[in-house]
Amino acid sequence: MATVATAGKTRNLTAPVIIEKVQAGIEESLTYYSKHPEEIGSRLLELDREWDIERAIEAEAAGSVLIGFVLGATVSKKWFLLPAFAGAMMLLHAIRGEYPLLPVFRRLGFRTANEIAQERYALKALRGDFDAVDSTRAEDHADKAFDAAAPSASNTSFAPTPV
Amino acid sequence: MGLPRFVKEPNPTDTRVQESTCAEVNEHIAQSTRAAVAKVAESPAAIERRLLQLEREWDIERALQTNFGALTIASVALGTMAAAPWFLLTGIAAAFMGEHALKGWCPPVPIFRRLGFRTMREINQERYALKALRGDFKDTRNAAPHRLLKAAKTTETAVAPI
Repeated sequence: MATVATAGKTRNLTAPVIIEKVQAGIEESLTYYSKHPEEIGSRLLELDREWDIERAIEAEAAGSVLIGFVLGATVSKKWFLLPAFAGAMMLLHAIRGEYPLLPVFRRLGFRTANEIAQERYALKALRGDFDAVDSTRAEDHADKAFDAAAPSASNTSFAPTPV
Repeated sequence: MGLPRFVKEPNPTDTRVQESTCAEVNEHIAQSTRAAVAKVAESPAAIERRLLQLEREWDIERALQTNFGALTIASVALGTMAAAPWFLLTGIAAAFMGEHALKGWCPPVPIFRRLGFRTMREINQERYALKALRGDFKDTRNAAPHRLLKAAKTTETAVAPI
């Protein structure tokens, strides 16, 4: 059975309006940080903390199942239908990407991990983290590329450049 | 107050699983990722193939969500059809999924990490290293926003329709 690719699994189910909004948001961020390159490091740390949509869904599903469990144990066994439904939806999301609350979360502004990564790596490129890769065709260029792509904000290859 | 620290201060989304994984396993994953980059670095065709493969790789969140969904359904089914104590598993699974969402740890994490499931962050380090080798980031220092957006785009193609 061919499964849906992980990258883009959630994004492909998003309304085009929202995708455009997310892209516009990243573009705005890039415009701002091209004028304030010294703040890129702290923005990268902020991006590490941003809740992506998978995390939001996991938290919400855990909450729904827990509520159904408590009500099922104390009020009526019928409440166990809620965890069963939530579990089925979680499974559906994991395998196919669909999720009943997906449109809600997307409209609330939760981005996918890859949309956050797009902003992260665009910012890293902006500050020149990938310069070392382009200039080398030496035997260690694979290592250089791997190090340049390190997502950590403590990566200090940044040297302020006049704008 | 009485709340655990991870509820009051959730760990950063992107690093929470690595923070909850033992150092040797993280190191092992980092080394094999580095080796995977080196393996295809010399061949542009191999880089293309690997990039497409990486889009399909199941990250640890996807594996954990599958596990949680299946466990929840199974526990409710067993609680209804076999014996009521099975319902306890529903509560336990939900509590751990909640802990995972906030802290980045739940019982399957050490197992899945040892099985080699990577976080999206680790997969992306490989993808962006390959993109850099391919030249996607040539002359992008201080480039215009639309050029940066295009260079950093996360999928090679639109994902196949469902």
